Amino acid sequence: MNILQYEFVQNALIAGVLLSITAGIIGSLIVIKRDTFLIGGIAHASFGGLGLFYFLGLNPILGAFSIALASGSFIGLSNEKQLQTHNALIGVLWAFGMSIGIIFITITPGYAPNLLTYLFGDILTVTPADILNIAIYNIILLVFLFLFYKPMIVYLFDKEFAALHGIRVRLYRFVFYIFIAIAVVLMIRSVGIILVLALLTIPPLIVLPLFKRLPMIILMSVIVSLVIFISGFFIAYYTNLPTGPIIIATGTLLLLIVRLICLLKKKNS
Amino acid sequence: MNQKPLLEIEHLHFSFDGKQEILSDITLPLYERDYLVIMGPNGGGKTTLLKCMLGLLKPQKGKIVYHGISQPEFGYVPQFTTFDRLMPLQVYDFIETGLIGEYHPLKRRNHDKKHLIEKQLEAFSLNKIAYSLISEISGGQLQRALLARALIQDPKILFLDEPTTFIDSESRVNLSEILKKLNEKIALVMITHDTSAVDDQVKNIACINRTLYYHGRDEHIEGALENVYGCPIELIGHGLPHRVLKEHK
Repeated sequence: MNILQYEFVQNALIAGVLLSITAGIIGSLIVIKRDTFLIGGIAHASFGGLGLFYFLGLNPILGAFSIALASGSFIGLSNEKQLQTHNALIGVLWAFGMSIGIIFITITPGYAPNLLTYLFGDILTVTPADILNIAIYNIILLVFLFLFYKPMIVYLFDKEFAALHGIRVRLYRFVFYIFIAIAVVLMIRSVGIILVLALLTIPPLIVLPLFKRLPMIILMSVIVSLVIFISGFFIAYYTNLPTGPIIIATGTLLLLIVRLICLLKKKNS
Repeated sequence: MNQKPLLEIEHLHFSFDGKQEILSDITLPLYERDYLVIMGPNGGGKTTLLKCMLGLLKPQKGKIVYHGISQPEFGYVPQFTTFDRLMPLQVYDFIETGLIGEYHPLKRRNHDKKHLIEKQLEAFSLNKIAYSLISEISGGQLQRALLARALIQDPKILFLDEPTTFIDSESRVNLSEILKKLNEKIALVMITHDTSAVDDQVKNIACINRTLYYHGRDEHIEGALENVYGCPIELIGHGLPHRVLKEHK
């Protein structure tokens, strides 16, 4: 195919493959822990940091990274039960982050960037440096899971039991949310805030009714994420429509088809 | 019964906020091969006391002295609400989580593990549902899976938190038989608000509602239970085959 000879297309596809690995793993853990709303909070709050840094003339992604890391650490260090009771506050954080980001970008003198770029991202502008960052992150994540997958799962599943058996629950909780926060920022840079949530949630939701074991759910989420990304990418290219929204639409369509088939199968059995 | 204590709770006080005490001046021993039932109304501090005994909560005042045992030797059967039952975990993997205390990131002993898990599946008649999700099995089956997980590392004390709440009467009888057999070898501590959960295997009863009202097992328990629950409790005489106390009305 001709389009593969362009460097930006190659970069986009490599980034997409690497991000599918990130999204498949992190997304599965988030969905089974039912923390999607919390992650939405981190993603949208980081938009505030992005706007602020843009206003200050600094690298906007560094702003998003700072806020994501700060909110990830805050969630990781706070009491889970308290956090659940303050669920509405996450909604405030979500809205406030977006608003403050837009205000800062608007009042910044000179050329205002297209907000859609940050919301839906532009995978075609991914640089080799971004690819390197995602690759390093994935390696660290995979090594961590190779070594600590079992205790991490016990922490996610039954905190009391984990604590009783010497698992440092607070440390695991902190590490879990830091991994999430960094993943969110890496994904915002390439695919935008909206697509972060879509890529983290759609693949595991497609896979969950089909597989029982968690390692299989994670693996299949990675594969589904890849399928959604690559098919969405080429559909967008040939229809000349924006990549991010098309990837989301493709994923949602696949989700609907799979759930419908599952429903029909259940009715017939 | 051998009266050597395994652990001794001494003048324990506990509060979550530093103001209102959940537990006040509790002194209670647990003996070797004891079968201690801690009773009391909901919100009376039973689970908090259990968590103190397990070392999951630290008392503000007082202490718990452990005689020759430590945390890894505790088996724990929690309430169904304390873990995430919707997690995609099969019964086999669920029982495996009981071995997490032995986990080492670089040393995997998969063969030993498989043997231990299969032994537990067999012992608790869980073979047929080994690959079912824990969200798909019945309350009685989940209770057996919890026991299998708690006992996989041969604990010296088994703690059970409200084990009869979500199970049917057949599973209760089953549980009672399992506990009777276990008690020949290890000490049991059961938390319950349900007076019908107390059977004639129980060796000691502690009545708790913030403070300890009673510890022992004789006819004085009736008055103590009334104080703890704040209403009359009917008692069946000792020595009957399955139940000591009548249903709390």
